[in-house]
Amino acid sequence: MEYLYAILPMLVKIAVIVVVLLLLPLPLTWLERKIAGHIQQRPGPMRVGWHGLLQPIADGIKLLTKEDHIPTEADRWLFKIAPVVALVPPFVVFVAIPLGEPIEVFGTVVTLSLSNMNVGLLFILAISGIGIFGIILAGWASNSKYAVLGSLRAIAQMISYEIPMGFSVIGVVMLANSMNMMEIVSAQKELWNVVYQPIGFFVFFVAGLAEAQRIPFDLPEAEGDLGAGYHTEYSGIRFSLFMLSEYIVVVIMAFLNVLLFFGGWHGAPPLVPEIVWLLLKVGFFIWVFMWFRFTFPRYRFDQLMAIGWKVLLPLAIINILVSGLFML
Amino acid sequence: MARTAQQKQGWIGWLFFSDLWAGLRLTLGYMFSRTITHKYPDHEKWLPYNRHRGHHFIKTNDQGEVNCVGCELCAKICPCDCIIVIPYEDEKGQRRPKVFDIDLSRCLFCGLCEDACPADAIKLGQEYEIASTNTAALVVHLEDLIAAPRKADKQAGTVIQASLDKDGSAKTIPKADAKGYDWWQLLRRDK
Repeated sequence: MEYLYAILPMLVKIAVIVVVLLLLPLPLTWLERKIAGHIQQRPGPMRVGWHGLLQPIADGIKLLTKEDHIPTEADRWLFKIAPVVALVPPFVVFVAIPLGEPIEVFGTVVTLSLSNMNVGLLFILAISGIGIFGIILAGWASNSKYAVLGSLRAIAQMISYEIPMGFSVIGVVMLANSMNMMEIVSAQKELWNVVYQPIGFFVFFVAGLAEAQRIPFDLPEAEGDLGAGYHTEYSGIRFSLFMLSEYIVVVIMAFLNVLLFFGGWHGAPPLVPEIVWLLLKVGFFIWVFMWFRFTFPRYRFDQLMAIGWKVLLPLAIINILVSGLFML
Repeated sequence: MARTAQQKQGWIGWLFFSDLWAGLRLTLGYMFSRTITHKYPDHEKWLPYNRHRGHHFIKTNDQGEVNCVGCELCAKICPCDCIIVIPYEDEKGQRRPKVFDIDLSRCLFCGLCEDACPADAIKLGQEYEIASTNTAALVVHLEDLIAAPRKADKQAGTVIQASLDKDGSAKTIPKADAKGYDWWQLLRRDK
């Protein structure tokens, strides 16, 4: 019984996070379509529910009742497993993302993260790098040239943005003297990291756009030139798993931007709970990602590589050097 | 390229992405501007201009007789042969149409019948909600044409409050005393 009491908070936290992450894409698709509509002077979805609020549920029912088609020449086993492989890493990343200081519930101290590991940041970067596997497998298993082109682009894109991304957070780690997410956040109690590390923030933000495969870096699934990229051949529930993982990656990138550079839950105005303040900031970044999507065109493939290698990487290294000089 | 005014941004602007910020500012402005979608069919309806060529109608004179003299000029000029006119002589000795059928499923609404008519009888009106799942129902007869709605009124060219007809006729009925607004004024035009 005592053993159960010990793991009960953990089980509750896991359940809450999984359920919230599974349901989160519903409001996000609604929000994305609303923002798209209003930027184009349309109201967006209006018919299902109040201002179309139930539209994502209608979409979900439609996706679930569609035929689950597998192409004849596809590698069936890989084709079936690829959406799950793409979906798992975004969920795993949330193990290391803290939502606030530990709180006391019924006399027991509950940490607001699943695991407060000392190498949290490294863990997040490593796991989100694995997320590319699902895309590679999906493109390869589909046995379709557009899907393979999409996953080839995804691989090249990953190589060019993961490295600047890893370099850009080194400045943050130097300021906090730790890779623990809690300590990185508490190091920003006085002043947010974005003030000390504007270049690092810029590099991380741009690389994060590429990581989340958002416009202007949505080359692996460029609707215009590749059909839909790596998930061209997917339909029904498997397609919705890909959409799910994409939206969760967007949420992760918003969380990382806030936790690493915008002070996490610190700096809340009076009367606003810290967790609400954190989620407000995260929501702002999600909104910015969507705003970008309907403002910018897509970069050409070689331009993306050039930005990654010739601009972001040197900037990230300069950022490390400059912050090292200041800390001496 | 030729028509857009290229602004000089200079190297400081280039360094801080002045062009990207300009794009973001523009879309932000649009995001909080008014939407311009017609709430058709259940709240609003677009009333066409008087020049609009929609469902035909046939004018009547003060005695309630049709203006048409059954000359069949409209049937002759019709490029898709969709008008059938069979004349007869009524009790006053006037030539009138016995049959006046228009097959709307073949009509291309060119308005040539209106131009050819010597008696100011056939006109093309403002009605445009004439879709049907039954092509036989699209052949309209003389009494339908007399009863059909006339040209758009003073509200022509505006969007007016309306409601969907509940009887399944797939028509939007404008509200009786509603005042239309000029939809083109809502369009946001940036230089």
